[in-house]
Amino acid sequence: MVFPSYEFAFFFPVVLALSWALMPRQRLWKPFVLAASYVFYAAASPGYALLLAGVTLANQLGAVLVGRSSDERSRRRIMTATVVVDLGVLGLFKYYGFFAGEIGSFLDSLGLGMPLPLLTLALPIGLSFITFQAISYVVDVKRGILTPAATIDFALYLSFFPHVVAGPIVRAREFIPQLATPRDPRNVAVGAGVVLIATGLVKKVAIADYLAREAVDPVFGVPEAYAAPDVALAAYAYAAQIYCDFSGYTDIAIGVALLMGFVFPQNFNNPYRATSFRDFWRRWHMTLSRFLRDFLYVPLGGNRGGRLRTARNLMITMVLGGLWHGAAWGFVLWGALHGVCLVAEHVMRGRGVKAPPAWLRWALVFHLVVLGWILFRAESLDLAGTFIAQLAEPGAATLWTPATLAAVLVVIGFQLLPPDPIERLRERLTALPAPALGTALALVVALVGATVPSQGVPPFIYFQF
Amino acid sequence: MSEPYYPSSPEPPVPPAPKGRRTSARSALVVVFLAALLLVLFEGSSIRDAGEEMDPGLGRELTLAIGEPTGWVSDLLPFEDWTDDALAFLEDEDVGAAGAFQSAASGAGTGRGVPPVPPSSFDPGELGMEPPPLGELDTLLVTGDSLSMPLDLELARRLADTGDVEVERDPHVGTGISKTGLVDWGRLSTEQTAEHEADAVVVFIGANEGFELPAPGGGQVECCGPEWAAEYAYRVRRMMNTYRRGGRARVYWLTLPAPRAEDRQEVARAVNAAIEVAAQPYRAHVRVVDMEALFTPGGRYRDAMTVDGRRQIVREPDGIHLNARGSGLAAAAVLAAVRRDFGG
Repeated sequence: MVFPSYEFAFFFPVVLALSWALMPRQRLWKPFVLAASYVFYAAASPGYALLLAGVTLANQLGAVLVGRSSDERSRRRIMTATVVVDLGVLGLFKYYGFFAGEIGSFLDSLGLGMPLPLLTLALPIGLSFITFQAISYVVDVKRGILTPAATIDFALYLSFFPHVVAGPIVRAREFIPQLATPRDPRNVAVGAGVVLIATGLVKKVAIADYLAREAVDPVFGVPEAYAAPDVALAAYAYAAQIYCDFSGYTDIAIGVALLMGFVFPQNFNNPYRATSFRDFWRRWHMTLSRFLRDFLYVPLGGNRGGRLRTARNLMITMVLGGLWHGAAWGFVLWGALHGVCLVAEHVMRGRGVKAPPAWLRWALVFHLVVLGWILFRAESLDLAGTFIAQLAEPGAATLWTPATLAAVLVVIGFQLLPPDPIERLRERLTALPAPALGTALALVVALVGATVPSQGVPPFIYFQF
Repeated sequence: MSEPYYPSSPEPPVPPAPKGRRTSARSALVVVFLAALLLVLFEGSSIRDAGEEMDPGLGRELTLAIGEPTGWVSDLLPFEDWTDDALAFLEDEDVGAAGAFQSAASGAGTGRGVPPVPPSSFDPGELGMEPPPLGELDTLLVTGDSLSMPLDLELARRLADTGDVEVERDPHVGTGISKTGLVDWGRLSTEQTAEHEADAVVVFIGANEGFELPAPGGGQVECCGPEWAAEYAYRVRRMMNTYRRGGRARVYWLTLPAPRAEDRQEVARAVNAAIEVAAQPYRAHVRVVDMEALFTPGGRYRDAMTVDGRRQIVREPDGIHLNARGSGLAAAAVLAAVRRDFGG
């Protein structure tokens, strides 16, 4: 089930009303919201719900065993085994086809045949997010940051419908304490939630999908058919599209959770405002950044082993972060590009190189990020190469329309504005009375719905990850 | 072995709530239900329309269960017309009513006696004759449902190298010839033909077929018996006739490779049989490009096949669509057929 759909429009009001009605009776509320979350997740395929239940039970077993064990080596072994199970599930569904093909091709080129069966496995929606959250739980229990939660609390944490499909990656220690006591029905951030839902719908349906149709998909599909002006427009448009698509989803997820009384961490903070790559990763997909930092970069040693070790750790983290997005060399290269830029910044900071002016740093970082998005979006490295080569091909601008240009400029330019006036406007909107908020939400849904083409709303980009 | 160092995380255990006014859960319910009520009043029939377009299943039943009463309420009120007028500037352009399946009679049983056999039923090549010379291939239209993606891209890329052929891509995801609410392919094919005047049209459609079709004597006919196949073939034939533009264009209609799911295989068999029958009067202008023989010989589904001496995955994980490699093979088969007609 996706947020901008009729199914969700029927599902959510009913679940919201029953959730608040049952909230004082936690013994009823928890099974109800758990069941609702499984219905939400199983709407794509009932088999996926079985897998989610399996991952839940395996990780809860691991966490309980870690919690019961007083021997450090045993705790470590149990944690490792549980993480291996999580990564095994993720690897099987997400990476099997890629690696079976790549390894098979390599062995075949040596005359050894293709020993691995070539199968296509459907990737259960949100599996990457689910496994990362499960890992965070077991590892935090091992680290002593968390005690093992009740099974129903952990099951709710993993499956809670606002974030089960595409994040944000909520840490167990952020969510499970919110289950300890009923949410206060007199203290709900209704205005903030509604503003986020409305903003997310506009970002996803009215902007991201429009840019995809009008500029991104045609050029990334056949870049050789377009000259530099259109190819450049498509590159910037994709930067705007992926931001609106993913942050739009996150806005809706956070807004829906707020209406239910739960708070999720922020996931985006004007990423195209960044003046360094370190800054970028503190603004883009922030919950993934901190997961990679806390569960990969720091355990690898972080910046505690000198420049070379730091560079190695940064590269490993970013390349694996790229691979997390999908089994393709484009994602690996995208991660490597970000890793190289982070390493370069680290080296320059260490040597005390004087930083260029802020506007130049912004321009450099922004255009390198856009270059990275080309690798990320192109269906193959060949097409990415063709796309980049076409940037030097003179020709006419056939896709430049006022609406497309305005959409790109607004999305990127809005992030460069001073944040305070925008924040004040948001706060004023959140203070509107409930009837005004309801009317405004209906108006936004109707306006956004009118822009949906006959093909319907395409899936969110991050659903595939 | 010492415990690795972990920094104290800068994030608080529970994220801070966003700034702004805090109100009651009752307000949240007022907002959501008021928005829902307004949408029912102003857009109620669109729920019913959306339900009618959904694939069979619980989602469709649920949407229709809500959409029919809300549509009834909406039909009684003038609000939806106001909304439609106000938001018309944001919507897709109407493709017009010409050629629509909805407004046409059923295909079966419309004639009496034995129908004549026109010369266009024969491909001159099959009779050992030189085909009449064709003009240049200037415009190639690739259309269909989600099956036509990424075939359209593969064809566009391969023809981009020549620089002479303009490839128009017009996929309509989630549509089908046997469902007309979302897109009426009879009407759409007429509109596409008028707009593009394509010299060659590649059609790959059938991922969402199997819906009931109007029966000749009234009522509906269910998939996938001869009655359904006959109605489906009639619709395909009308589209073929539209796309071939009286013989000025060539049509390349792809059959369906067998899908993984058995219930879908039944639909695919009926669709493929209908395509073969539909093309018979137009063998001079319509080429049926056999994807079943290429990807699933004998109708047996497979994920991978040998390409260039190596086993390679050619299907998407859904067991319906072709992946990029599979689409590349399909594009090669289509281009071979195109080149037989247009040369090059």
